[in-house]
Amino acid sequence: MATVSTVSPGARFIDPQVLARIGNLELVAKWVVEGFINGLHKAPYLGVSVDFAEHRAYMPGDDIRRVDWRLYARTDRYYVKQFEADTNTNFSVLFDVSKSMSFGSRGVTKIDYGRFLAACLCYISTKQRDRVGIVTFDDDIVERVPPSAKHFDVTMHTLDQMDPGRPGALGPPLYKATEFFKRRSMLVIISDFYDEPEKVLEAVKPLRFAGNDVIMFHVLDPAEVDFPYDDSSSFQDLETGRKIPVVPDKLREQYRELVQEHIQALTGLCSQNRIDYAFLNTKAPLDHALFKYLAMRHKMTKVR
Amino acid sequence: MSFLVPLFFAALVALGVPVLIHMIQRQRTEVIEFPSLMFVRKIPFHSLRRQRVRHWFLLLLRCAALALLVAAFARPFFQSAVLVAVTGGSREVVIMVDRSYSMGYGNRWDRALDAARDVVRDLDPDDQATLVFFDSGAQSGARSTRDRASLLAAIDRAERGADTTRYGPALELAQGIFEESDQPRLQAFLITDFQRIGVDSAASTLLPPGTVLTAVSVAEENETPNIVVAGASVQRDIFSGRERAVVTARLANRGNETVDNLQVALELSGQEFESLSVTVEANSSATLTFAPFTLEDTAMPVSVRAAADRLPDDDVFHFTVAPGDVVPVLVVGRAGATDANLYLLAALAPGSRPSFSVTVRSVDQVTTADVAAAGVVVLNDVGLPSGQIGAAIARLVESGGGLWVVLGEQVRWPEDDRGLLPGTFGEPADRDGRGGTLVVNDYSHPVFEVFSAPRSGDLTTPRFFRYRPLDVRPDTAVLARFDNGAVALAEHTVGEGRVLIWTSTIDSFWNDFALKPIYPPFVHKIVEHLAAYTPPTPYLTAGQFLDLGQYPGAAELDVLGGNLVVRDPSEDRVDVGGDGRAGFIELTDQGFYEIRDTDAADSASVMIAVNVDLAESNLERVDPQELVAAATGRAVGDRAATTERELRPEDLERRQTLWWYLLIGALGFLAGETVVSNRLSRTELDADE
Repeated sequence: MATVSTVSPGARFIDPQVLARIGNLELVAKWVVEGFINGLHKAPYLGVSVDFAEHRAYMPGDDIRRVDWRLYARTDRYYVKQFEADTNTNFSVLFDVSKSMSFGSRGVTKIDYGRFLAACLCYISTKQRDRVGIVTFDDDIVERVPPSAKHFDVTMHTLDQMDPGRPGALGPPLYKATEFFKRRSMLVIISDFYDEPEKVLEAVKPLRFAGNDVIMFHVLDPAEVDFPYDDSSSFQDLETGRKIPVVPDKLREQYRELVQEHIQALTGLCSQNRIDYAFLNTKAPLDHALFKYLAMRHKMTKVR
Repeated sequence: MSFLVPLFFAALVALGVPVLIHMIQRQRTEVIEFPSLMFVRKIPFHSLRRQRVRHWFLLLLRCAALALLVAAFARPFFQSAVLVAVTGGSREVVIMVDRSYSMGYGNRWDRALDAARDVVRDLDPDDQATLVFFDSGAQSGARSTRDRASLLAAIDRAERGADTTRYGPALELAQGIFEESDQPRLQAFLITDFQRIGVDSAASTLLPPGTVLTAVSVAEENETPNIVVAGASVQRDIFSGRERAVVTARLANRGNETVDNLQVALELSGQEFESLSVTVEANSSATLTFAPFTLEDTAMPVSVRAAADRLPDDDVFHFTVAPGDVVPVLVVGRAGATDANLYLLAALAPGSRPSFSVTVRSVDQVTTADVAAAGVVVLNDVGLPSGQIGAAIARLVESGGGLWVVLGEQVRWPEDDRGLLPGTFGEPADRDGRGGTLVVNDYSHPVFEVFSAPRSGDLTTPRFFRYRPLDVRPDTAVLARFDNGAVALAEHTVGEGRVLIWTSTIDSFWNDFALKPIYPPFVHKIVEHLAAYTPPTPYLTAGQFLDLGQYPGAAELDVLGGNLVVRDPSEDRVDVGGDGRAGFIELTDQGFYEIRDTDAADSASVMIAVNVDLAESNLERVDPQELVAAATGRAVGDRAATTERELRPEDLERRQTLWWYLLIGALGFLAGETVVSNRLSRTELDADE
């Protein structure tokens, strides 16, 4: 079902609940992405391809075919011409498949939402000739598909087969995943980041410091944000199994404040560490996530 | 301390309820799964506030109330001997006094009452006692009373009965009283002459454990001979046109000494008619025949009374002798065929109970007066006479008389009166060879019942060579057939009377039945059945209940509508019946009961003789300790018999009733909890405002 947003005119906003009814991930990705791109034909984000980037001084060892002879003629110096899109990049999704990701109060679980998002991103990347791969993790690495131009189908399959069941932890698996990305890659981390912001950043930093472009998608269910419960009940932690009697009326406001503080803290810390961070509410259409992603990519190119 | 129902302590789990209420107020059992409680854990106040006990005193009040409630339901009691001794010690006493007529031997009855009085006087103030008088049944007055005056008054009012001894009902009654009692000590007194005849009834009765059964025997060690008038028979004959009776009395000596010159009198209507002297050997019997006397028009009360010995109840035998125990039979035969009635008349001649008054008429001589005087009409090889005679016979049957139609060669039946017959008959049919035999359909029928037992007459021996086929109607009862299936004897009800049709002859012309030994009883039973004869009951036994509606001797009385008055042997008058109720009389006394309908014009009365059960006159005794052992289930002298019984937990708990105090305590705690919680709530509300 499409809804209309005043934020991004021309785009099709697709309700995740509708997407959830489509079993085929590739079809979902294709439908969303192509619809999305069609809606963006006037948008400024399409120029992320083979444009000229910069000149730099020739260094011994550079391919002389890259020397800008015209500039040499004018300046009598050797410069090498660099283009933005003249190289393909690795695109990998690091997907949190811990038990908490299986939560969903509106029919779409967080892992489903993340699954659609990852599928779309992979589809976009494949369209750009990027190599796509995926790493799923909970408290350890669960599945790993190395980035490759031929791994789109395997990645889709892995996304499709993800089954959250175990408690999660960010530090150990992400540290281990650092070893997988020897080459500079674009890494998208999809998780609910249930940990202290400092610890989250401690877990993500190694990836960033390895030279990767890291984008953190913080996926939360509306119930986790708004805490809409009324009756006093026993709340059970999906991952630890621990139960706590809760009077929602009494703590709702404080809970919301804590969640917002958590998001703000993550935003601040990520910004400090040049890590892109996006908070996603599963009730929001998937297009929002794609907008955020492409906005970041665009920002990245400008910064560079 | 012990508990009668300790399983209730499982309910102590309920103590967790107030704790849970304190911990999680209004918490539902529903569990909500949430991805992570990281943020919830950071808010300790509202989620954890319910987990703290804020009002310890309130919690303790609630827990204490529940604990006391659970303990009360568990029904606690103390098993301490000291406590039991403090609360125990009193007795539940049942005094059983034999009131059978054997207690009239000598002064047994007076001594039994004295013994009962002694027991009552020896009761402690805390003892409870029940007085039970028994013979074949048992009756008690006020149960478990401490009122000794009422017990003594009941003893003073007690009267000896005329019934037999049975210990079972009294012991069962005592058993029931003991089982309901909460007294720590159970004691029963059995005051009787310990006749052996009553022991069998006590075989299945066992008093509760710990019961002390004290036997008080009032029988003498050396008993004198006991003469019993065991019965009397009556022989009847007709003398000078009046019915006479000769009474023969049977006497028995149930003692070890010969009784010489025992005077035995025959009393007619209360007046001595004749007195004879007889000698009865020890442990022997004798018969005595009195002079004949002429019967009156109504039932005559007759008594045979021997000189009184120490047990006078069995020295007299009452019975009634009623006249008219004669069935009038009208035999209608063919004119000039006197031989046809020969066997029938010979068969009816020797009858005595009843006797048959036979009138023989040929079909052309019979009159309506003959028919009116008859109870049973036999149409022997003749059809129904025409005219008034036939109508008179039909009326006789309608009003309850009997008609026996014997089909022979000459029988022709008028078409208009076919309703009297159970079917239509055809022309004579012959059987070849050795002839046919009789097959009885229903041996339970009054006609054939006497032949149903083995060696009681073989109805298959007669041979039937000719008969008249009978095509019966569907509502007709076929009592016997020939071996070829043809109907031999059929019965048909007309009005209040009966019609029997016999399809062969009753002489030796068509069969040889009349030559067989079973012929006379067969004829007798047919005539008795047609006359609806029931033998009179000369006497009944004390202790029976008499239903006048079912009693043949009271057929003349209007039991349902009449105003019946009974005069019992002690001359007391009791109204029975009337107001639509059937009359029931309990025959408690020995002697004559006279029942009179005061509404009837002729004020006819019915005499009913009542005798004691002679089994009670057998004074053979049983060892009292043997009976005690049988009733208590313990050998005599067993230590357990003399010690205080061990109270069952149920009895201990019932006596102490601690649960009641616990319940009161629980209610007190709950009331306190209400007050405290209200006050706390008010305080908190004020604080919130």
